[in-house]
Amino acid sequence: MVSVSESPVVLPRLPTDWKPREPSGKSISAPKTGKLLPAGSAYLAHARRTIFNRTHHEDNILEEENRKKNEELNGGVIEDDLGVGDEEEGPELAMLDPKEWKKQDHYTVLGLSALRYKATQDQIKIAHRKKVLKHHPDKKAGQAGDSNDDAFFKCIQKAHEVLSNPERRRQFDSVDPYFQILEDDLPTASSLSKASPQEFFDAFREVFERESRFSIRQPVPLLGEIDDSKETVEAFYDFWYNFDSWRSFEYHDKEVNEGSDSRDDKRYTEKKNKSERARLKKEDNVRVRSIVDLALSVDPRIKRIKQEEKAAREAKKKNKVNGAVGGAAALKAKQEEEKKKAEEEAKKKEEEDKAAKADAKKAKAAAANAAKKARRAQRAQEEGTA
Amino acid sequence: MAQPNGTATGTTTPGEAPSTVVGINFGNSFASIAENQAECIANEDGERQIACAVSFFGEEVYIGNQAKPQLVKNAANTIVGFRNLLGKKFSDIPVDQSTTSAPVIKHPESDLPAYEVTVLVPAPAPIAAPKSSVNTPAASIAPTPRSEPIEQKRILTVPEVTTMFLQTLLQSAEDFLGKKVDGAVIAVPTWFEDSARDALVEAAHAAGIKVLQLLDEAGAASVFITEPRPAVTGATILESDRTSLILDVGASSVTLSLLAIREGLAYSLGSSHDTSVGGNAIDDRLIHWFAKEFTKKTKTPISVLPSPTVADARAEAKLRIAVEHTKRTLSASPGAASCSVESLKDGIDFTGTINRLRFDVEMKPLYHKIGHAIKAVLAQCQVDPVFVDEVVFVGSTAALPGLRDSVALEFPETTEVSGNGDDPSQIIARGAALQARLIASISAAEDASTSLHVAFEKGSDLINVTATQKPLGILFPGPDEENKGPWLTIIAADTPIPALRKVTFDVDPSHLEGSEKILAFEVWEAKDDVDVELIKFEKVDDADDDEEEEEDEPAESRTKKTTPETYLASVSFPLKSPTKTQVSVEFLVEKSGEIKVTAAEVTAPTELHYLTIPST
Repeated sequence: MVSVSESPVVLPRLPTDWKPREPSGKSISAPKTGKLLPAGSAYLAHARRTIFNRTHHEDNILEEENRKKNEELNGGVIEDDLGVGDEEEGPELAMLDPKEWKKQDHYTVLGLSALRYKATQDQIKIAHRKKVLKHHPDKKAGQAGDSNDDAFFKCIQKAHEVLSNPERRRQFDSVDPYFQILEDDLPTASSLSKASPQEFFDAFREVFERESRFSIRQPVPLLGEIDDSKETVEAFYDFWYNFDSWRSFEYHDKEVNEGSDSRDDKRYTEKKNKSERARLKKEDNVRVRSIVDLALSVDPRIKRIKQEEKAAREAKKKNKVNGAVGGAAALKAKQEEEKKKAEEEAKKKEEEDKAAKADAKKAKAAAANAAKKARRAQRAQEEGTA
Repeated sequence: MAQPNGTATGTTTPGEAPSTVVGINFGNSFASIAENQAECIANEDGERQIACAVSFFGEEVYIGNQAKPQLVKNAANTIVGFRNLLGKKFSDIPVDQSTTSAPVIKHPESDLPAYEVTVLVPAPAPIAAPKSSVNTPAASIAPTPRSEPIEQKRILTVPEVTTMFLQTLLQSAEDFLGKKVDGAVIAVPTWFEDSARDALVEAAHAAGIKVLQLLDEAGAASVFITEPRPAVTGATILESDRTSLILDVGASSVTLSLLAIREGLAYSLGSSHDTSVGGNAIDDRLIHWFAKEFTKKTKTPISVLPSPTVADARAEAKLRIAVEHTKRTLSASPGAASCSVESLKDGIDFTGTINRLRFDVEMKPLYHKIGHAIKAVLAQCQVDPVFVDEVVFVGSTAALPGLRDSVALEFPETTEVSGNGDDPSQIIARGAALQARLIASISAAEDASTSLHVAFEKGSDLINVTATQKPLGILFPGPDEENKGPWLTIIAADTPIPALRKVTFDVDPSHLEGSEKILAFEVWEAKDDVDVELIKFEKVDDADDDEEEEEDEPAESRTKKTTPETYLASVSFPLKSPTKTQVSVEFLVEKSGEIKVTAAEVTAPTELHYLTIPST
C-alpha cells in the first residue's frame, strides 16, 4: 500500500522574476546493497512485486481487488436487510417516554415508517435488531451520560413487543396514528361535485387502497379505471357495500386500575371498554359506508354507464322509428309499447285511484269538519237557551 | 472412540486462515508461544514464560518451570541452556563453565554434546515360568525378579532434549487453543549458524511441529512493531519511515539490531551480540548481594559463584530461583522487593529486601555495558543517536525500569523509548505469531501466490536489496538564493528500492506571486546531518552560595537536520484552483536509480506533471 503522508509545510512567496531552473543532469548517489529481514506484510508485498514482476501501482490495484474478493467471501458484505434500510431518527424520537408507549408510533420507533402494515415479521425482526445494536444501553456506557437513551431503548423493546405479536400488531394496525391522520382528510362531496374523472380517481384510489387493508376477504377489488365495464364497477360497489372489516379498537381500551382487585371496578371498566369498542366499530362501519356512498355519488363511471345505457335505448328507439327492423322485432316493439301503454294506464289509474282516494279523504275530512261545526253550533245554541 | 481433549480439529470459518498457526519464541532460558491474541499462551501452570529446563527425577520427567526447583536437589539430572548447543560439535563447546545443572558430556558414539541423566525405568515383567503338567510353577533356582523400577543411565542428545521440550510447548498450546496446531514460526537469534537452524528444524519436526519459517528475533520484533494492530490509548504514533533499535536483553545475552523500517520493510543496518550481559548476569549480581546480606545478618559464611561446597551450590541454586521473583517484583512495582529463601544454608532462613535505587546502583556496571554496546553498534553503522526514532525493548529483563532509564540517557528526547506499554517478554512470540499468520494466509490463497513461499525460505534471494544512500526530497524556491523555502523529505535514506512514496501538502494560491499562480519545487538529494547546539546555563549569582563552583560546561543539544546537497531538477506548473488546495507529489525510485516524480493537484488528479531523473 502507498501510504500518503500529509505535510504541514507552508510555502514561501515566490519572487515575480522567478524562472524554473534547468535540470542539473545529475542523478542520485549510487544505491547501496543490504539485507532485508524476511518479515512482515511489507516484505510479502516486496516479494510479490519481485516474483510477479509488478510495479507498485499494479500490485496495489491487484491487492485491493483481492482484498475485496476475500471480504465478499467472508461475508464481509452487509447481509440482506430485506429492504428495511436505515431511517433517520428525528429529535422527537429521542424525547419519547416509555411510560407513554401506547401513544408512540411503533413503526417509526423501529424505523419501519415506510412499510407499516406491509412489513413482514422478518423485516420487523431485522429492524429491531438494528435498533438494538445502535441503542443498547451497553453501547452507550461510557458515553456522556444522556439518561434518556435508555428510555428510547425501552421504547424500542415495547414497539417490538407489540409488533412481533400478530394479535397485538393487528390491534395497533387498526388504530395506526399515521393512517388516522389521513382518514380525517377525506375528499368532500362539495369538492368533488365538479371534479374531472381524473381528479375523482386521484382522490379515491388511495382511500380505497388504505381501507382495503382492513378487509377480511382478500384480494379486495380496487377502484379501477375510467373505462371499467359495468360488471366490474358493480362488483366493486357491491363488495364495498358489504365490506367485512377486521378492524377493532381494543388498543384504545382503558386499563383496569393496576392493583385494584375490585371485581366491580374491573367489570365496570370491561363493560365500558366493550361498549366503547362497539361504538367505535359502528362508527367505523358508517365511515366506510359514507366513503362508498360518496364515491358512488360522484363516480364518473356510473354517469358514463348511465349515459351509455341511455344511448343504447335511444339507438333502439331510433331503429324502431326507422322501421328497418323485422316483423318479429316490430311485434315485440308493439307488444312492448302495449305493455308500456298498459303500464301507463295502470299508472294513470293508480294515480286516479290515488287522487280519488285523496278526494274521498278530503270529502270525509270536510264532512267531519262540517259535523264538528254543526255540533259546536248546536252546543252553543243549547247553552244559549239554557 | 473417545478422544482426549484437544485432538479434534477446530471448525474453520471461510476466509479466515484455515489453519491454526503459532509463533514460538525459543530462547535459551525461557520460551513463549503465541497465537493471534493479545497475550502469549499460558501453559497448564498459568505460565506465559516457560523455562527451558528438563528434569528427570526417578520415573518422572519435569519440563518447564517445574523443572527449575529441581536444580536445588536434583541438579545432576536437570538440563538447562540446551538451545545454544544446537547444531554444535562437542569439541566446539568451551569446557570451562562450572554449571550447577547436568554437565554436558561427549556423546559416546559421536562428537556431539549430550547429557547423561539417571532415570528409573520400570522393572521388566517377571519371566513367565515354564508350566509343569500339574499347573504349578516348576521349581527354579533363578532368584525372584525385582519388582521395583531399575535405575538406569540415559544419554540424551541436545536435539532430543529440544524435541522433548518443544513437544510440551506444542501440547500446552493445543490444550489452550483447543485446536491442532498446523504450523509455527520459530524465532531464533540472528547469530544462529546454519547447522543450529537445521538441527532446530529437525528437532521441531520430530516434535510434530511444521516449521513455516525460522525468523530472526529482530525480524519478529519488526513484524510486531510494523503490523497494524489496535491502537493502545496513549501510545505515540510513529512514522512509517523510521529507524528502530531492537534491544533484546535475554537471560544469557544482549542482542542489538538497528533497523531502518521503511513502510514496514525492515532493512538491516547492523547488529551486535554480547553474551557477557543479560538476565543471568543480573541474577549473579543479585545472588552476590543477597549472599553478602545473609552472611552479614547470620554470620554464616556462604560463598557463591563459584560455590566450593555442595551446601553452597544448593544455596546458590535456591537464591537463583528466589531472585527471579525479586526481579519480577522490581520490574512491576516501584517499591522495594524482597527475596525469601527457606533454609538457605545450615538450616537458617533468609529474608532480604532490595529497593530500586540500590538495585540500580548494583546493576550500574551492567547497564553501562549495555550502553556501550548500543554506542558500539551505532558507531559501527555510522548512525547518530538522534536518528534513532525508537528503541524497542525485547526480553523479560528489558522490563527493568532502571535499564530503560539508563538506555534513555543514550538518546535524545525525540527518541521513543517508552515501549508503548507492550510487554517486552511477549514481543517476539507475538511477532512470530503474526508472521505465521501471514505465511499461512499465502497458503490459503489458491492462486499463484503460493509460489511466494520461496520468499520465506532459508537463504531466499529476495532479502538482498539495494537501498538509497541519501534522503531525497523537494525544496521550495524562496525569495532569493540564500532564503530557500522549506525542505520536505520524501524518500528517507536507506529506503529499499524500488520505492514509492506520496506526500500531500496544502497550497494557498493567494500566497503565490504572479498572475499565473505557479507552483514550483526542486528535487534535491540531501544529507542527514546533526545540528549541534551548545546551550550555556545561566550563571546563578547567589551571594549565599557556599557550593562548589558551578559547572561551566555547556550542554549539547543535538537535533537532526537535513541539508539539501545535490540539485537534480525542478518542476513547476500553474495551479488550476483559485482557492486553497492540496498538491500531491509522488516519488518512484526505480531499481536502476531512476526517479519518476509525479505531481498533481488533488482536485484535478488527471492533470499530472511528470519529471524523470535518469540514473547514471
